[in-house]
Amino acid sequence: MSGEKKRHVIPGEVITSGPYRAEQNTIQVGDKIVSTIVGLSDVHDGSVRVIPLTGGYIPKDDDLVIGKIASHSSLSWTADINSCYVGMLPASDVFGRDYSSSADDMTAKLAKGDLIAARIVNADMTRDPLITISGRELGKIDSGELVKISPNKVPRLIGKRGSMIQMIESSTNSQVTIGQNGLLVVSSEDPNGLLKAIQAIELIEEQAHVANLTDQVNEMLESKSE
Amino acid sequence: MGGRDTDIVLLDENGIRCDGRKVNETRKVTIKAGVLKNANGSAYIEFGDNKILVGVYGPRDVHPKHMSDTDTGILRCRYHMAPFSVGERKNPAPSRREVEISKVIKEALEPAVMLKEFPRTAVDVFMEVLQADGGTRCAALTGASVALADAGIPMRDLVAGCAAGKAADAVILDVNNEEDQAGQADLPIGYMPNLKKITLLQLDGVLTPEEYKQCIEIGIDGCNQVYEIQKKALQDKFFASGEKQ
Amino acid sequence: MSDGLIIDQLKKNQILDLLKEGKRVDGRQFDEPRKLTIDIGVIPKAEGSARARLGDTEVVAGVKVQPERPFPDTGDKGMLICTAEILPIAHPSAETGPPQPPVVELARVTDRGIRESGMLDMKQLVLEKDKSVIGVFCDNAVTDHDGNLFDACSYASTAAINSCKIPKYEMQDDAPVKIEGEFTEPPITTLPVSVTMAKIDDYIVVDPTIEEWGIMDARITITSNSDGNVVALQKGGSDGFTQEELIKCAETSVKVGSQIREIIKQSKQSDN
Repeated sequence: MSGEKKRHVIPGEVITSGPYRAEQNTIQVGDKIVSTIVGLSDVHDGSVRVIPLTGGYIPKDDDLVIGKIASHSSLSWTADINSCYVGMLPASDVFGRDYSSSADDMTAKLAKGDLIAARIVNADMTRDPLITISGRELGKIDSGELVKISPNKVPRLIGKRGSMIQMIESSTNSQVTIGQNGLLVVSSEDPNGLLKAIQAIELIEEQAHVANLTDQVNEMLESKSE
Repeated sequence: MGGRDTDIVLLDENGIRCDGRKVNETRKVTIKAGVLKNANGSAYIEFGDNKILVGVYGPRDVHPKHMSDTDTGILRCRYHMAPFSVGERKNPAPSRREVEISKVIKEALEPAVMLKEFPRTAVDVFMEVLQADGGTRCAALTGASVALADAGIPMRDLVAGCAAGKAADAVILDVNNEEDQAGQADLPIGYMPNLKKITLLQLDGVLTPEEYKQCIEIGIDGCNQVYEIQKKALQDKFFASGEKQ
Repeated sequence: MSDGLIIDQLKKNQILDLLKEGKRVDGRQFDEPRKLTIDIGVIPKAEGSARARLGDTEVVAGVKVQPERPFPDTGDKGMLICTAEILPIAHPSAETGPPQPPVVELARVTDRGIRESGMLDMKQLVLEKDKSVIGVFCDNAVTDHDGNLFDACSYASTAAINSCKIPKYEMQDDAPVKIEGEFTEPPITTLPVSVTMAKIDDYIVVDPTIEEWGIMDARITITSNSDGNVVALQKGGSDGFTQEELIKCAETSVKVGSQIREIIKQSKQSDN
């Protein structure tokens, strides 16, 4: 059984009652299922969840994130990953297993303020999530511009099977590295393309909840820039 | 409650209060969500002549570390008045009154917020009273729960605040500054409208058992009215321009 | 405050590259402040108030006026005290608790700019010499922090004091008694306005944003009065200025200050 209409809900609001499972961002109160967050209710296949419209990023295993190096000790760096937890990047991830705190200069590799594309290795919440920068598409980011959006709007930016982001990239001749944590790095050889790509991303951030978003973005991309 | 002598007529022969309200009427309440750039969530509330800004940060790292809890996130609240918010300039350092109000507001919000998902973190709620006119704790609590929802902190319910009280021997809703100074009782209430639970309750003054019952009753009624305005503030911010997907 | 702020390396490079081309990240000229809006009377219960929004930095200033016992050595003058605090709602790095050195500096620089300009004729704020004088307290609350709090507090304070109403008092049995409903205009002599400039890699820019603030090498805050004279200065940051730079900075401050002063004057007129 599918298909109660998606509704805008706020914390405490009753979504439905009856034999449903309370899933993400909902709780069961008596026979009612109640939202715990501002978002869109989604009832189908006997379960109820709320797609959030606000809130921070909670690290999940295997997520690609953009991080900003904040500090380092003799064994690891910490990176601001736009979350309630900082990412821990072990020195051995960069220097290999024979890393020596006396011989290797950590700041020569990554200094405060450097941006990295990283993957979450382990986010079990009992300690700060472990991240890695070894792997395809990962590592220090040397060019482009950092853009911040709400982490909840990342799926909208990507679009169905990547349609939205591909449209932006191809029509502005730019590359966008998307962190699931809402941090993006946009780069392009063409300064106007870069500007346009950033404007398109800002439009999605503002208008993520409207139905004809793809048309709006398309229209914006096709308009002549001054 | 002094029941202090004053020239003000708190209730006239037609049952109209000093600011023109009826006994069961709240002051005008307006709330705007998402007013600050840097905060994770925020709200600005005007409750009569009270003007309060609320900012929420978090969940975030806890400093000092020893305050953190490995099983859950913690809620921290600070109620603070600007020096220019009251008649005579207030010393900027936090008073005992502000410390106590911070604590009762924290305990009024704790039943609503769900921080188990964020162990070792803190959610900070900062309430800044820019202008005070009686009933600031209810107004601050009301604004705080909108700011928490704006920040995306999971909550079982919103918490709405409104005081009931007694002035000129009548039970009244939403006690203003004059009624607080010259009236007989002030009973602030914080209430979760969907879960139907009172989470903040204080009393200053003398009430008969019957008046106590009435105060709770109209106080809850006031909270329900305030709740509708909280709801609207969140709807205006998140759902206003675009319709259903 | 912003001292704990880490600016990402790409942004830092971008700022520096643009400065070399004579540009800034937000498209402003080097000597162009951000958009300033001032609303007065935002706290109706205070004797004076103003909200200044400089870009995304926002400050609310409130003025309280009340009789005070004068200091023993200045019994023939009223009292004027300005303070500033960064509310914890303003920025994730803002702290509660006793003010840290940057906040103390902010408060003192704000106070100095107003006080040293002689903005108020303090001799007119005496109720009875050596017994009772009028105290004017201007408290600044920073509600949103996007860099350059010095100037935002300066503009909020000047606008709030400029638009305040001084209640009338009468001495009765050696004690001041307020006459309800009667007010006088404040004895304004001049409108002090500060202009803060950041030095980034030998380039000097007016009204730095929080990102420029985060990477600057040094800064200078210069307050000028309505006559175009310099009345207060504060150098900060861990680099220095050359003599030529300082002469240029003072000229810039006076020039930019006069534009800002017009906005402050208009804020009072549009309210009337």
